[in-house]
Amino acid sequence: MSEPLLSVEELHVWFGLKGDAELHAVKGVSFALEPGERFGLVGESGCGKTTTILGLMGLLPPNASVAGRVVLEGENILAEGETTVQPHRWHDVAMVFQGAMNAFNPVKTVGKQIVEPMELHEVAEGNQAWRRAGELLETVGISASRASRYPHEFSGGMRQRAAIAMALACTPKVLLADEPTTALDVMVQAQILELLVGLSDDFGLALILVTHDLPVVAQVCGRAAVMYAGEIMEEGPTDVLYHDPRHPYTRLLFAATPDIEGEGDVASIPGVPPRLDVPIPGCPFAPRCDRTFEPCPDVKPRYLAVGAGHRAACHLNDPAIAKAS
Amino acid sequence: MSQVTAAAEAPDSAVSAPPGLVRDALKGPQALVGLALLATFVAIALLQPVLLSQDSTTKVGAVFAPPSREHVLGLDGGGADMVALLIDGTRVSLLVGFAAALVSAVIGGLVGLTSGFFGGKTDITLMRLTDYFIVIPDIPLMIVAAALFGRSLTNIIVIIGIIYWTTTARLLRAQVKSVRERVYVRRARGLGAGNLWLIRKHVVPQIAPLLIANTVLLVAYAIFAETFITFLGLGDPSVISWGRLIENAFTDDAILNDAWWTIVPPGVCVAIVVLAATMVGSSIEDALNPRLAVGHLSVRRFGLRVLPQMPPRGERSATTPPPTGAAAPGKGRR
Amino acid sequence: MRGADYVLKRIFFAIVTVFVAITLNFVLFRALPGDAIQSLRCRQCTEQFKEALRHDLGLDKSKWEQYKLYLQDLAHGDLGDSLRTQKAVRSELWEPIRNTLAMVALGTVFSIILGVVVGVVSAWRRGTFADRAGLWTGLTFYSMPPQWLGLMIVLFVASSIGLPTSGISDPSLGILTEPSGWTLFVDRLKHMILPAATLGLVLFGEYAIIVRSAMLETLGEDYVLTARAKGLSNWATVWRHGLRNALLPVITLIALSLGLIIGGSITIEYVFSYPGIGLQVVEAIDQRDFPILQGAFLLLTFAVILFNLLADLLYFKLDPRITT
Repeated sequence: MSEPLLSVEELHVWFGLKGDAELHAVKGVSFALEPGERFGLVGESGCGKTTTILGLMGLLPPNASVAGRVVLEGENILAEGETTVQPHRWHDVAMVFQGAMNAFNPVKTVGKQIVEPMELHEVAEGNQAWRRAGELLETVGISASRASRYPHEFSGGMRQRAAIAMALACTPKVLLADEPTTALDVMVQAQILELLVGLSDDFGLALILVTHDLPVVAQVCGRAAVMYAGEIMEEGPTDVLYHDPRHPYTRLLFAATPDIEGEGDVASIPGVPPRLDVPIPGCPFAPRCDRTFEPCPDVKPRYLAVGAGHRAACHLNDPAIAKAS
Repeated sequence: MSQVTAAAEAPDSAVSAPPGLVRDALKGPQALVGLALLATFVAIALLQPVLLSQDSTTKVGAVFAPPSREHVLGLDGGGADMVALLIDGTRVSLLVGFAAALVSAVIGGLVGLTSGFFGGKTDITLMRLTDYFIVIPDIPLMIVAAALFGRSLTNIIVIIGIIYWTTTARLLRAQVKSVRERVYVRRARGLGAGNLWLIRKHVVPQIAPLLIANTVLLVAYAIFAETFITFLGLGDPSVISWGRLIENAFTDDAILNDAWWTIVPPGVCVAIVVLAATMVGSSIEDALNPRLAVGHLSVRRFGLRVLPQMPPRGERSATTPPPTGAAAPGKGRR
Repeated sequence: MRGADYVLKRIFFAIVTVFVAITLNFVLFRALPGDAIQSLRCRQCTEQFKEALRHDLGLDKSKWEQYKLYLQDLAHGDLGDSLRTQKAVRSELWEPIRNTLAMVALGTVFSIILGVVVGVVSAWRRGTFADRAGLWTGLTFYSMPPQWLGLMIVLFVASSIGLPTSGISDPSLGILTEPSGWTLFVDRLKHMILPAATLGLVLFGEYAIIVRSAMLETLGEDYVLTARAKGLSNWATVWRHGLRNALLPVITLIALSLGLIIGGSITIEYVFSYPGIGLQVVEAIDQRDFPILQGAFLLLTFAVILFNLLADLLYFKLDPRITT
């Protein structure tokens, strides 16, 4: 099998709290991204998805510490911290943030901000850069003349598209999109998603889409990973996750999404996610799980293959556990 | 409205004040230190008749005598004891401070309350008026007014008080306006509550913390302002205040005589009281307006940890301990 | 032009305020119980002289008449004559205003630079000792009466640094040789440094606090995260995205602290015997030279109104978000 474009291996993120306490926000997350692939990272709010992608580009606040490997085209970019990560920012891995409304500095023109990374990474400069900025805006469906306008002159949806254009400035290989469609109305959402899919298909752009919105993942991504309390519970092809989930959380999560055609009940998962400042010995989902049994609270489930490209961390899939009970 | 006058308005007047806010705010370390300092000076002022056996300006020794065991802070240009003068000055300076602040708070409070509560034409006229007055520079106006009408303590208190009412008025108006629109006020009005009752029961408790914070800060301003007026020779010649002591030192050529003990102490006293009042006032203000101390992205770097080699998740058995953060702090930490 | 109506509105407001200031000025000075002339002290001030002076100044007419005359005079740029020197107030104040302007400008530049540096460092190193130390130092200086700070500087600092503490120029300069323009300039500058520094120290605290808040708010914004995600270094992020946004409130703050700046410079000029408009005010007070006082106050108020207008327009231009 060919080398994955981006491989995240055992990524951990801790946040230092007052005193000596720590919040273990991301616990050993691993996944791989092939070139041009669209990968979804789903979970409830606060499960660590945003922290994961910020962490893999070293964009965390100073009270955070990171461990693990992030291998981009064979190079471990986290090896020396800031010095090894920084050259790859935007140039290889670009980001579109949640609420891109504010991704733009209000006192500078949009064009200037698109040009900025180009000049920084020496991709283009001066007039050439501005022309490119215009072209990028056209690619996302915005007239190039708008480059000289200020962010507040754009509508929400346009700003998001402009943010995507800005992300493409240095023709990155990976685009990390964190909740790109939240806070946009449905019509605009559809346009943005269509845009992202189009870019991925046309330019071979790999995409990691972080969202809590499952239909979006189903629409856009070929594969997805489900996160809970800082850990990946299950990972696999999106349709398999939908139709044959091997982790109770995945199943309940998808069941909680109202089906526009179906008559099924809308279920919600009772309970709240666990605290992350104390270590959790067993499965973090155990307190809320409907299939929990004896080993769950005390023994950490193994992350096992349950199908082609499909893995889950649940004792129910573990033959060794089944034997014991 | 101009940017300048907009900035002079309350930053977030929509924050509601929970009961006991002032009391809680005053329990913080900053406020406590401030209160302690203020209390000390107030005590000195109140105990003045006890502490001083004679008029503080009595000549007790040589002019500009340096500090000695008998006179810890030396003697001034008239041979009077500095310590006695300072004690005396405490009384007047604090009096001017509190009295002027009170005048300012009352005027500003009434204007702000009326304007905010009744709205409409009253509001517009009053605010137009304050808008014009805000631009006129405060301290020069005070100096001119003092030059024309000053020289008595009462006049000075009134002058200082009148100059500073605008900020209080604007602050309160914004707050009152937002309180007036609150649901429970509307409800009470619907039940037939009269204006005065509404003001007393609902508006006042909500605006009280802001008013208190503002008044405390006004005390600081007033004491500060008094030193300007007296320094230019416009103070009441019959009283001793800290500002007066600074003026005396200057006009008596204390510098030529190297008499630092006549210059340093009165200024230190002013600075301490102003600082203390600022600490208390801003503690209350902060409690009202919790600045979301987010700064989630301070531009320092994240830290990297080196963990002991761990087998990947799939191979871990129940006996493998989870990775903890207890490893050597890694590279990349600033 | 964007917001042409905003600009016009502000200019109109400024004009009205000028009018209010003029009227206030008139009311203040003529509302005296008693008579300005009465308390005049000068060698030739006999009763006859005072009567003549009163007539000259139109003080024997009705208040309304006087007001109209006042406005007429102002329209011609006539601020009256000094009671002491009998010369036009306008010419008496011309040079002092320039001196004060230079000194205050220098002082304000000091305070802005110091305030911005302390504010940025405090925000950058938020919560650390550097942060608190910077803020408290600023607050402490802000709590000191400017004249006292000036005296302290003269007492403890001036001699060791070797800077002059009074006047605006060294009288001995022109005696033996013709000093060059450069020497004169440097000499003037040296005389301005201490008064300007005093003013700067008093003011910087406020600016530091505001720059710090603005920086913290800015640093928490998504576009700062985006800037870092683009690969900008910490320094470049602060410089290009943080600072500009954090500096906007400083403009407003200067406008708001003009009262303190002027008041402070009056007392500071007195301490340092610096021949600016402040010193003129002090002398006028001492000698009851009301025309000078009135003229000075009017000019100062005009300057403040003008500055407020400029600050408004500058802010409007710099922040594209502001719409009318």
